[in-house]
Amino acid sequence: MAGKSGRTIVNVPDKSWKKTLLCWESMLVVVFILINIFCASISSSYQFSSVLREMPKYLTEMFLLFPMAYILILGEIDISVGAIVCLSATMTCMASNKEWPFIVVVLVSLLVGTICGFVNGLILTKFTELPPMIVTLGTQIVFRGIAEISLGSGGSVSLSNTEGFRMIAGKVGTIPYILFVVAIFAVIFTVVLSKTTFGRSVYAIGSNSRAAYYSGIHVQRIRLIIYTAMGFMAGLAALFLTSVLYGANTTTGNGFEMDAIAMAVFGGISTAGGKGKLQGGIISGLIIICLRIGLGQINMNPQLILIILGALLILAVLLPNIGGEVKLKKKTAAAK
Amino acid sequence: MKKKVLSVLLCVAMAATLAVGCGGKDSGSSDSDSKSSDTSKDSGKKTYAIVTKSAGNPFNEKEAEGFQKVIEAEGGECIVKHPEAATADAQVSVIQSLISQGVDSIAIAANDENALQASLEEAMDAGIKVSCLDSKTNTDSRQTFVNQAGTKEIGQVLMDAVLDITGGEGQWAILSATSQATNQNAWIDAMKEVMKDDKYSKLELVEVAYGDDEPQKSTDQTQALLSKYPDLKVICAPTTVGINAAAKVLQDEKSSVKLTGLGLPSEMAEYIGDDDAHSCPYMFLWNPSDLGSLSAYTSIALVDGTITGKAGDKFTAGDMGDYEIVDADDGGTEIILGDPFKFDPSNIDEWKDVY
Amino acid sequence: MKEKKSIWKTITGSREASLLIVLIILCVVISFRSPSFLTLKSISDMLKNNAVIMIMTLGMLGVLLIGGIDISVASTLAFSGMTVGMLLKYQKVENTFLLFLIAIGIGAACGLIIGLVIAKGKVLPIIATMGFMYIYRGMAYMIGNSQWASAENLGNFKNFALGKVLGINNVVLIMIICYIIFFVVMKWTKTGRKIYAVGSNREAASISGINTSNVELMVYTVMGTLAGLCGALAVAVYSSAQPNMLYGKEMDVIAACVIGGVSMTGGRGSVVGAFLGSLILAIIAKALPLVGIDAIAQNTVKGVIILVVVILNVITQRVMDKNNLKGREM
Repeated sequence: MAGKSGRTIVNVPDKSWKKTLLCWESMLVVVFILINIFCASISSSYQFSSVLREMPKYLTEMFLLFPMAYILILGEIDISVGAIVCLSATMTCMASNKEWPFIVVVLVSLLVGTICGFVNGLILTKFTELPPMIVTLGTQIVFRGIAEISLGSGGSVSLSNTEGFRMIAGKVGTIPYILFVVAIFAVIFTVVLSKTTFGRSVYAIGSNSRAAYYSGIHVQRIRLIIYTAMGFMAGLAALFLTSVLYGANTTTGNGFEMDAIAMAVFGGISTAGGKGKLQGGIISGLIIICLRIGLGQINMNPQLILIILGALLILAVLLPNIGGEVKLKKKTAAAK
Repeated sequence: MKKKVLSVLLCVAMAATLAVGCGGKDSGSSDSDSKSSDTSKDSGKKTYAIVTKSAGNPFNEKEAEGFQKVIEAEGGECIVKHPEAATADAQVSVIQSLISQGVDSIAIAANDENALQASLEEAMDAGIKVSCLDSKTNTDSRQTFVNQAGTKEIGQVLMDAVLDITGGEGQWAILSATSQATNQNAWIDAMKEVMKDDKYSKLELVEVAYGDDEPQKSTDQTQALLSKYPDLKVICAPTTVGINAAAKVLQDEKSSVKLTGLGLPSEMAEYIGDDDAHSCPYMFLWNPSDLGSLSAYTSIALVDGTITGKAGDKFTAGDMGDYEIVDADDGGTEIILGDPFKFDPSNIDEWKDVY
Repeated sequence: MKEKKSIWKTITGSREASLLIVLIILCVVISFRSPSFLTLKSISDMLKNNAVIMIMTLGMLGVLLIGGIDISVASTLAFSGMTVGMLLKYQKVENTFLLFLIAIGIGAACGLIIGLVIAKGKVLPIIATMGFMYIYRGMAYMIGNSQWASAENLGNFKNFALGKVLGINNVVLIMIICYIIFFVVMKWTKTGRKIYAVGSNREAASISGINTSNVELMVYTVMGTLAGLCGALAVAVYSSAQPNMLYGKEMDVIAACVIGGVSMTGGRGSVVGAFLGSLILAIIAKALPLVGIDAIAQNTVKGVIILVVVILNVITQRVMDKNNLKGREM
């Protein structure tokens, strides 16, 4: 098992580095608890059941977070996911309205997403010189454009047959199914990223793509797989989003990409690549969701909520940086 | 090593679930307080919520003001909610939040006809009365709809305006919002229907352009219309952003093309006039504040049980008079506020400060 | 023979030249379908309507050159534009020149804060500007307090966009001046060299005595300043200030740069390229309704064109590299 020997080698110099990272994640857990106490104290309707009830819509964005974390760790970005969700949701509704069996509808939704992701990956791996941001910007416009064309002049499609979607929007007690699905994928993506050679290759590419290439990692194949997985998860998100909307329109999924990126960054994943853990992203995703639900319940001005989220995002990165610098200065001063 | 990481992972996961539980418990302890306050609420005040299309828009703001004024005058509690973006997605979160807060009614100006169905159905299941105003949802997700003016009536007045301004014949074009805007599409279809009458046979609709409610794109589209159709006589823009951008282009270029449509008086005051220096002889709109007020009375009547949202139900809307619920074209029901109001040089000065 | 070769080489050898060819082909095709496209008035209209994006492209060029990115520009623009609109609406300030100064000042302050967070706080540009994108947009909404400033409130200010100097519209003139200044600065001054140096190799630049974080700070401040200026311009051009103005247009600005051959990893790109790139986008926006493409398909066509132009860029680059290698082998 070459992977195993590699693991021990990688892990040896990691100790101190790991400590700091663990610090960030455990801090996030503390923040998460504080946020919950805070929300519960400002809003009397912030309760276990109401939070769980409001959660499904926000949780659809969590699906996007997992592969987005991989892409960010690669040092790349995908801003077309919101559009993929839109296109996939549109096709899902249309397929369902054709009275196709629900399993086929699910397949359509996943397939459309996967194809879109594959197209992104194909362009990016065939033309490696192109920056992912500009390619996914282009495909973003195209994917949403295709959704616009297929929606026609109404711009909106309703779900005539909601039966299957009612099923997946169901609950066990007060816990919605989607939470379990998110949890399953969270475990899968986390384990793959932190425990497998594939995950380690992702980090390797993110820290130094050329070095990774020369050490025998199939850089382009891995990129293609990740972008396709991004599409697949966008399809899944579209499926569950449809179950909370019963319809789709041209603005469906607007801004999802930015939300997913914000969750990841707040969780300590660096957009420069090579750094960060999915666990952090998941906890920070939950923090952002709870904060949004709590502030929404006290009817705060939505723009103010956005200002707060923006400020939190910057502070989350800025404060550790400043702290690190102060420490560094102290160290150098002590050395002198 | 493997175990260590795993245990860390588990710890994190457990802490997370614990934290959720914590939050839950915490609120659980304050549960009793909230319930007591809830009961006090029940005995006295009902809570009525209005959800607008988007924040930062004076039309929506006036609508919400009209709603709030009536609710407060009638002794209710009013919640005004703007979604963070003008999308149905954002409105879903808002509706979910209102369900959690246990409001008695929701009046919503829908950003999309279909995509709110799941959450509005959930609201109705929770006993919340749901009505729409300004722009409707599909029939499954509402009890009734407060319509600013009948679709047919709007199509009729706009066509008559085009007929009048062109002098009975010639080319004209429409500059709409997005190609998907529900309201605009309904009005345009109504206009096309009206146009089938012989009276309008000499009018030629050359194009329906879409400015996406963006000033820049609307400007591009207006300029494209002008250069494509040199014989164009009238542009009809049934959208407040579009009419504004078009008015600006026409007036700046001192074009002979005239403009009409639906616009906010405060935005359009500069462009309304009979002479050649102004691009828009007259236009139409309704009073957003009245629309909000009527919607408020409708919400109150729904919560009271005076009306259930069936056609034929009647109620009194304060000093606005009596209204009756009628069948709408889409199979649901609606309440019509009245005919669209005409703004011309004689009354624009009086209205431009109002909304 | 030799001369011919060198001309041929300069044409194929420079990205700008190949862009120019794309531009010319585009123009010919469009004017073939719609003769009114290539008239002086239509071009002047187009420049005026796209001046805001074209000016911001310049700032973005600087940001991209040092390997950064700024996705907050449209929000900064809305914040400064709304401030101008509200000052006029409540008749606090009426002097056009003063209003422009205020707008530029606000933009500069916004840019400076972003620059400080990025250069001194070592926050990655995309994260910092994403945060400020939300913050400044939110502030634009706050300052507007659900009001718009409309033509009637704007008094003399809106006439600025109508005025002409030497037969050129004021707005277009400002754009041209900006481009000239940037062209000169980027090509012939120390500051320009520094920006390129930092972008192509930060460590080397730092070792050779350039204060890289100051250059970074400057670039973002300039970007903010231009966005602030554009806020005032946008209010004048459209005679209206709304908090959601130019929502999402930061992507157009970035796309214009990249189409113009500006590298997103820094160090490569020119003012001429940025100009051509933004011009291509402007022409696409202007031409799509003119050539009669169905409204519903316009976005798709726009996206496809962006992708095709960017991919073509890569292919020509590859062919060029191959040819150069061939030359070496011979």
